[in-house]
Amino acid sequence: MNPAVVRWQLISPTPDTAAAFYAKLFGWSVHQDNALGYRELRSGNDRGIDGGVWPAPPNAPSFVQLFIEVPDVDACIASAQQLGATVIVPRTALPDRDVMAVLRNPTGVTFGLSSAPTA
Amino acid sequence: MTDLRNRLGAEFVRRRRANARYSLRAFARDLRTHHSALSRILRAGSRLSDARIHSLGRALGLTPAEIAVSLLSERMRRVLAIARHPRFRADSRWIAALTGLRLDDVNVALHYLIFQRRLALVSPTLWTSEQPS
Repeated sequence: MNPAVVRWQLISPTPDTAAAFYAKLFGWSVHQDNALGYRELRSGNDRGIDGGVWPAPPNAPSFVQLFIEVPDVDACIASAQQLGATVIVPRTALPDRDVMAVLRNPTGVTFGLSSAPTA
Repeated sequence: MTDLRNRLGAEFVRRRRANARYSLRAFARDLRTHHSALSRILRAGSRLSDARIHSLGRALGLTPAEIAVSLLSERMRRVLAIARHPRFRADSRWIAALTGLRLDDVNVALHYLIFQRRLALVSPTLWTSEQPS
């Protein structure tokens, strides 16, 4: 099975405002019960994917990144680099045991890689 | 990323080059701060509060954008120091409590430390600094 987009992430200098906007507009719930205090936005709907909001410095532009789940983040980074991608955030093991990285594709768009927590 | 300590140090050297008799006390006076406090800051021995970064930054003639960079740099410095704490916990709220930073400021600092390869999250419980702060 090919990797799929599993999560979206909004980077925002005003994360509370951004999260509250979508919570109010769509009824999505905001959860920060994780080690980083990451604002997860859950639709409660089986369709589509959930996302979250990560803080950016004041005056930084807001943007959205898509995260693609892969079985092996390191191997995917290597393959992506061979295809012309550059690494923005190297392989990072998050406290809640997800592994992630952020790359820039050859056309300049950034995207994330993630792998599910291991036992 | 140039932090305020580096800017202050460079400015002091510049002024001393222009006037060999220019002292740290004179520099502190010009910045409207105490010379002992300034000395500690230059030796990287004390935390810089947001208010002090703003006041010293303005006294140095920094732009708001440069002051913002100085704020971020100081926050990164604090988070990096915590990664070496003997009872380190990979928990942004814990880091916020120890550093006195807001949770979002911890996470922004964390992001830039990883981006700049100064901190690596090697495992869910092990964070390593990759170069001296």
